[in-house]
Amino acid sequence: MLKNITLGQYIPGNSIIHRADPRTKIIWTVFLMITLFAASNIYGYVMMIAVVGIILLVSDVPISYTLRGLKPLFVILIITAAINIFTYPGDTELITFGILRITLEGVMQAIFIAIRLSLMVIIGSILTLTTTPISLTDGLETLMAPLKKIKVPVHEMAMMMSIALRFIPTLLEETDRIIKAQSSRGADFDTGNFLEKAKSFIPVLIPLFVSAFKRAEELATAMESRCYRGDINRTRLKELTYTKDDRKISIFLSIFLVVFILSKVYM
Amino acid sequence: MDNLSVKNDSETKENKKNLFSTNTIAKIAILSAVATVLMLLKTPIFLIPGFYKLDLSEVPVLLGAFSMGPVAGILIEAMKTLLNLAIDGTVTAGIGELSNFLVGCSFVVPAAIIYRREKTRKNAVKGLIVGIIVNTVFAAVMNFYILLPVYAMAFSWPLDKIIQMGTAINPYITNLTSFILFATIPFNLLKSLLSSVITFLIYKKLSGVLHR
Repeated sequence: MLKNITLGQYIPGNSIIHRADPRTKIIWTVFLMITLFAASNIYGYVMMIAVVGIILLVSDVPISYTLRGLKPLFVILIITAAINIFTYPGDTELITFGILRITLEGVMQAIFIAIRLSLMVIIGSILTLTTTPISLTDGLETLMAPLKKIKVPVHEMAMMMSIALRFIPTLLEETDRIIKAQSSRGADFDTGNFLEKAKSFIPVLIPLFVSAFKRAEELATAMESRCYRGDINRTRLKELTYTKDDRKISIFLSIFLVVFILSKVYM
Repeated sequence: MDNLSVKNDSETKENKKNLFSTNTIAKIAILSAVATVLMLLKTPIFLIPGFYKLDLSEVPVLLGAFSMGPVAGILIEAMKTLLNLAIDGTVTAGIGELSNFLVGCSFVVPAAIIYRREKTRKNAVKGLIVGIIVNTVFAAVMNFYILLPVYAMAFSWPLDKIIQMGTAINPYITNLTSFILFATIPFNLLKSLLSSVITFLIYKKLSGVLHR
């Protein structure tokens, strides 16, 4: 159950998307998602598909990896499509049996929603597939740096984020092991009402927290013995720089954005 | 040994410029990792519509907030939301995640503020009860004005379809208000009550390790 979780699904590569600065990628991911929400007619969706398709092609990420991200969405997609097909108000009837009527508008709406949800997930996974979690955190840290002025602990948050990302797989394994260990002692997690189920999790939670705190303590000692003292005078192994690749991506997507807005105004 | 403690002292003074000690950073980070792991173990409960999922991820947040203060609680909650975003992706461009974060904070912050004024068993119970009440009210408001409408828009499910899904399970659900009353409120009450009970049961056992 705990094994099939993809985290930090980064796939190494040397495409223009891989090389680009994480800041560029984060900003444009946000912009593309907003544009996706704004798309309302067939032109908008076609343009979105085209742009995401081009990015996918350029990024050199195997299509199968992108599609894998859609798997958890599959059930929701089917249900949503079904609901839209049968309930969307429309005039052009295609089929009618009994009280169920399928209209052209309903089918179109179902397709649009399926496209929108899939693209939303694909856009997000392009970011995580081409960027290491560490450089993603670095990018977020520099983007959020202005918030330091209003006392938001940006550096500390980025540090915690990288630590958490590093420890999630370890803790997942640990949880799995504890669950198995307690099961072998006769613990029962599957029967009973949900209150009993929740209570049966206490023998899992306590060892999990104890081992987590032990790790935290060791980590803090390790950091201190390497003279970690926060943000002040800290240097980086990889400085983030804005390069030619970033300029190319930004120009391409800006043109897309302008065309998209124009089409929304005039069509 | 003496030497070491003197050195540690000067180091803490130096650290005052930073908002958190290294120890706190490590603890908050690992608690967020635990919260994320627990979030992945969520199960739907069957008396209310399927998209409300129950998980224990609020327990580490509460533990952190009780032992390190409300700010730590907010940070763990934020980390948890961000990590979940990275794992699951988003279908609402982050709006659903943002409101989850705010709803979580509305539970943890009041509870932690009350408990930390005077750390007694009685105060812990008081804090948790206030937390549950604030959380339920806040969640109801957020669901009514933001969450449900946004989800309805994202999936293009007309709101009354969501309500019909509720009616199928609980016949008292007839409109948005009764949906909130009979689905959202019981769910949030249950979730925060469960997290509170579990935190209350394990906090004392863990506080030794937590404050070492």
